[in-house]
Amino acid sequence: MELRRIEESIFKVLMVLSLMIVVGSLLAVIGVILWKGLPVLNIDMLTKTAQGGYYLGKGGGILNAIIGSLYLAIGGTALAFLLSIGVAFYLQKEYSGGTRLSSITRLSLDILWGTPSIVYGAFGFTVLMYFHMRASLLAGIIVLALLELPIMTRTMEEVIKTVPQELKEVSYSLGATRLETTLRVVAKQALPGLMTGVLIAFGRGIGDAASILFTAGYTDRIPTSLFDATASLPLAIFFQLGTPLPQVQQKAYASAVILLLIILAISITTRLLSRKYTKYIIK
Amino acid sequence: MSETHIQIENVNAYYGRTHSLKNISVQIPKKQITAIIGPSGCGKSTLLKCMNRLIDLTDGVTYSGKILIDNEDIFDRKTDIVDIRKKMGLLAQRPIPLPMSIYENIAYGPKIHGLKKKPDLDAIVEKYLKLVGLWEEVKDRLNSPASQLSLGQQQRLCLARGLAVEPEIILCDEPTSALDPVSSQYIEQQLLKLKNDYTIVIVTHNIHQAMRLADYVIHLYLGEVVEHGLSNDVFENPKEERTRAYINGTFSTELKIDSESDLKGQLCPFNFVYAKQALHNLEDGKILKLIVDDPIAVTEVPRGMEADGHKVLIVKQINKTDWEIVIQK
Ligand SMILES: Nc1ncnc2c1ncn2[C@@H]1O[C@H](COP(=O)(O)OP(=O)(O)O)[C@@H](O)[C@H]1O
Ligand SMILES: [Mg+2]
Repeated sequence: MELRRIEESIFKVLMVLSLMIVVGSLLAVIGVILWKGLPVLNIDMLTKTAQGGYYLGKGGGILNAIIGSLYLAIGGTALAFLLSIGVAFYLQKEYSGGTRLSSITRLSLDILWGTPSIVYGAFGFTVLMYFHMRASLLAGIIVLALLELPIMTRTMEEVIKTVPQELKEVSYSLGATRLETTLRVVAKQALPGLMTGVLIAFGRGIGDAASILFTAGYTDRIPTSLFDATASLPLAIFFQLGTPLPQVQQKAYASAVILLLIILAISITTRLLSRKYTKYIIK
Repeated sequence: MSETHIQIENVNAYYGRTHSLKNISVQIPKKQITAIIGPSGCGKSTLLKCMNRLIDLTDGVTYSGKILIDNEDIFDRKTDIVDIRKKMGLLAQRPIPLPMSIYENIAYGPKIHGLKKKPDLDAIVEKYLKLVGLWEEVKDRLNSPASQLSLGQQQRLCLARGLAVEPEIILCDEPTSALDPVSSQYIEQQLLKLKNDYTIVIVTHNIHQAMRLADYVIHLYLGEVVEHGLSNDVFENPKEERTRAYINGTFSTELKIDSESDLKGQLCPFNFVYAKQALHNLEDGKILKLIVDDPIAVTEVPRGMEADGHKVLIVKQINKTDWEIVIQK
């Protein structure tokens, strides 16, 4: 009896400990970034592009990287979404009938998911070289879309799979076709989950540096066309931290704060939106 | 018997290798209520799903035979199944609203069948909500999610939604089993009213409900039609011993149980062996009650015991996981 109680308390301590490590690390990361970044963060950082070269630029801000990151991540997420939603529905058994092709697709996606983003970057770079093209917003968007595709597709597929069979039966019994059922009932029931899938993929896209290093490049200007090189926040942090100048290094933390805030804002918006649609979900 | 609406001829259905419907041939009369009765797992839902071919959605199903509705064979691959389904409303075991507003739930069917104009849709929504007596309760919140209604209200909404596509037939699969008594009674009243205009098929394992509602009864047991006929004849004077046993069995909870055996947690074939042993220890004519929770046992134990010459009186689901099987030696 005594022994079992001791076991119980050991496990409890272990659980509390792991919890503290998880929450603690999160708080530590955010804390350090805010502590180092907030003092440097000022209105110029947000409203001016880099001045005096982006490696060593002491003047100006990082507007080029903020706008660039948003372009890249929004573009990449939108493109990935267009591809994912089709694949995610196709992978359902009503459409693919659980064929070989669908299991091969699933396997490929899982491998892509585990592929380091630098490999995507190298791949994109090779393709660009082959076509004698330079790093551009478009190339960055395409590589980010590829990077986001597996996460988005697999999350969406799982979400769509949880839509109850009975719900589809209701729609069919009213004389709906498969497409009508998919678009008007299944998609609606899965909507909050689909939004979460998009959000997770967006988070991965906006935070990734390696894949766009060679494909989107870096610049101190705001891109005006799809074929311009494009700056991004993760690379801004990378370059700024890499300089020997303390003033520029400090700016890296301000960039990190901004990246954090963007992700936070997107998270909260998605939560709120998805809560609005969750009301309609049938359990 | 009045005019036949649905003619079922030699229908067989298999889930993989499980033979769930065995040579079913029955006629379902027009504008009457037909009840399909029988214990859990006897194939009631399967038969119902054949009638609107929702069975197509299940993996590994094969079926054969003919089901004629207005002289059109719905099992014929050439028949447009979307058209067929439009002729039939479905009321499921538990209310399943669509993930949209109350209004959109009713408007969904008419919309996919091409009705676009808002005033027309408004009129339809009002008409069918009134028909099921829901209008007064929801008219001020037509745009709120259907999931927020009570279960009873949801089931009436589902009925209205099915009616809004103007079907000729209403198929109900234990439509009141998830509802409270008051809501159940309400649905039953609705069905009685609706039989003037619709052919209604109701699956139920509640004998009382079948007696209250049905004009015509089909008794299924282990995938076979045991008996079918006018409700009065079947209930008052069953021709088949098994029908009598089923009706009595479900009627008299005071059925004298001589021995009880709890086989929960026992898997096939052990539950089988224990059941045999328990029967072996009884005298002829005595009654054994088994409780099982292995889904295979639910169909296989009764089948095996019948093969051994015992009489299975009741196979009944008593809660989410457990079934009661009553066997007379
Ligand atoms: N999706 C399925 N896959 C495999 N077997 C099934 C499936 N649905 C039903 N069955 C089997 O078919 C038989 C009839 O089931 P069902 O028609 O649901 O019975 P009821 O509605 O009378 O309770 C049962 O033995 C059941 O185990
Ligand atoms: Mg059933």
